[in-house]
Amino acid sequence: MIIFKTFLKILLKNKFIIITYTAILIFFGCFNTQTNDNTTNFSATKPDILIINKDENKGLTKDLITYLNKNSNIKKIPDKKYSLDDALFYRDVNYIIYIPKDFREDFLANKNPQIKIKSTKDYQASLAEMMLKRYLKTATIYHSEIPNEKDLLESINSTLKVSTQIQMTTKLNTNSLNKMISYYNFANYSILAGCVYVICLILSSFKEKSIRKRTIISSLKSSTYNLNLLLSNSLFALILWIFYVILSIILVGNAMFTPHGILLIINSFIFTLCALTLAFFIGTLLSNKNAINGIVNVIALGSSFLCGSFVPIEYLPKSVTQIAHILPSYYYIKNNELIKKIEIINLKTINEVLINGIILIIFILIFILLTNIISKKRRDFSYQ
Amino acid sequence: MENTIEVKNLTKKYKNLTAINDLSFSVKKGEILGLLGPNGSGKSTTINCLLSLLSYDQGSIKIFNEEMTPDSYEIKRKIGVVFQEVAIFEELTVKDNIDYFCGLYIKDKNTRKKYIEDAIKLVGLEKFKKFYPKQLSGGLLRRLNIACGIAHKPKLIFLDEPTVAVDPQSRNNILDGIQKLRNQGATIIYTTHYMEEVELICDRIIILDKGKIIASGTLDELKSLATIEEKVSVEVQDLEEKYLEEIKKLKYVDLVTYQNNNLQITYKKGQNNISHLIDFFNKNKIAYNKIFSERPTLNDVFLELTGRELRNE
Ligand SMILES: Nc1ncnc2c1ncn2[C@@H]1O[C@H](COP(=O)(O)OP(=O)(O)O)[C@@H](O)[C@H]1O
Ligand SMILES: [Mg+2]
Repeated sequence: MIIFKTFLKILLKNKFIIITYTAILIFFGCFNTQTNDNTTNFSATKPDILIINKDENKGLTKDLITYLNKNSNIKKIPDKKYSLDDALFYRDVNYIIYIPKDFREDFLANKNPQIKIKSTKDYQASLAEMMLKRYLKTATIYHSEIPNEKDLLESINSTLKVSTQIQMTTKLNTNSLNKMISYYNFANYSILAGCVYVICLILSSFKEKSIRKRTIISSLKSSTYNLNLLLSNSLFALILWIFYVILSIILVGNAMFTPHGILLIINSFIFTLCALTLAFFIGTLLSNKNAINGIVNVIALGSSFLCGSFVPIEYLPKSVTQIAHILPSYYYIKNNELIKKIEIINLKTINEVLINGIILIIFILIFILLTNIISKKRRDFSYQ
Repeated sequence: MENTIEVKNLTKKYKNLTAINDLSFSVKKGEILGLLGPNGSGKSTTINCLLSLLSYDQGSIKIFNEEMTPDSYEIKRKIGVVFQEVAIFEELTVKDNIDYFCGLYIKDKNTRKKYIEDAIKLVGLEKFKKFYPKQLSGGLLRRLNIACGIAHKPKLIFLDEPTVAVDPQSRNNILDGIQKLRNQGATIIYTTHYMEEVELICDRIIILDKGKIIASGTLDELKSLATIEEKVSVEVQDLEEKYLEEIKKLKYVDLVTYQNNNLQITYKKGQNNISHLIDFFNKNKIAYNKIFSERPTLNDVFLELTGRELRNE
């Protein structure tokens, strides 16, 4: 308890420098996020669809229309004055779907009826198209196994219910996604620099030789002491992480609550633990306060450059990315990029993300182990 | 009386240098033991070995009748240490510093609060509770350093040169404090290279030189090691040669020197020497003033045992 209390006091004593430091990081973080903005700003509204149904409104046909209705705005047929082409031209609708006569019967009879469409060929039209295709594809797949129409519709709906939402949000927010990724890529620097800087600063006080001597001769078990110190630092790292997550929600908005956003947040959490243990390790190794700034630059800036925190890793030479493999930042940023590319999130698609996460956890364990070895060695003052 | 510390055949080498060599001694419960020796004689090394801060090459160390190891937390609980170097947090106030170090031993907040007040009172830092270390003078820092080391009311206290580079006021305060601690029942090991301090406060003294004990005992025991017993100085104007010869023949006189009107006589035994000398002056009508007598100092002892002065500054 006394260690936590003292930790806080030292933290508060350094508040000015820490706040300044964080402010600079945030400034660059925001700047970085903003410049990565795509110029086209899609709104996340549903596409406007016009359905011209020549079939009877029942069974499969009815179900298709219901499905489309759920995820888009179904428009009434416009006034005779306007041709349908005009409606498209003026963007009254994005997508027109012609359901042919006997569509349902033909489909169930495996006659492969064609649905005609007209499209504004813009982003929202592509969303509508995607929905339609998804429905038809799912229906086709299930129909080969389920001839009964009622069961077929049930299967289609339960499948679409799960994946539609995800598909919609991700595609709707390509821009938000880009923003998120560049924010969280930059967070590699902010989190690493923040953790290493502050933790080393505070540890350098705790581990100052004469103070450490006094701590070692006290009746406090050295394992208890180390644990307390680690927990105090963890709390700081946790607060730092929460702070950056909140900031990302402010900058990017609700999109952070999508599965992609949440994956990014989890990834950054694991990385924060990694930064924490790394900082703790360096802090144990380091006894000179004046070296902290240099160390932060080497570690945070260095690994951020090497691993593509500022410049996408594709633009870096191969030799650089080879070196980057030994750094935790590499796996963190790689994960961000992988998450960006995933369309549907399930166990299979995030497999690689999980592996990188495990690599990060291995890094954490290595850092903890190294810290233990070092601090055991440091108990004998003969060699200092 | 029971021994708080028992050291047997302790030897510590730093690579080629033997910093302490086959040291054996014990510390009795409730005493102030002085470890006296010039810089580099191995005082700090001895203390660090006793505390298991240093590994040592040979010997055994028992504190409170148990072997001392780095994991002897129960022994450590009863020990307080004030190191030679000031060990405090620059970022914390006087009170918070004491709180931290006391908190390493004592969990209970209320007990700690009281103990902190006691420690502050002992070293006389009442007015500086809210001060940060950089606002304190060297002497006050030393006092804070002591408060941090003893706030948890240890039964055994190590003080390693706590008065180095300290102003006289702080020094007196520190020496007073140490005696108070002893009176409260603590056993104290006090290292210094100032012999006056040792003479002032220590019950028993160990003189170290080059990592070896060259003498130990109470102040009187040590002084009896010196072959001289008393030194007398007198200011006499133009003393004639014949009187000088006569003085040399007086009882117990060992050595006589006369320089710049200053007569110095060393006696082998010390009883009524001054009165005999004054009788002699009166009888021969010799005018004198400023007569004073000195008992031998630890410096004289050290000088005789090693051929060197204790102080080298
Ligand atoms: N860490 C060390 N490495 C090598 N030699 C040391 C070390 N610490 C002390 N010494 C040497 O050991 C001897 C005893 O030192 P020390 O115990 O500090 O003496 P004191 O405290 O009496 O001044 C000195 O000669 C000193 O130079
Ligand atoms: Mg010393």
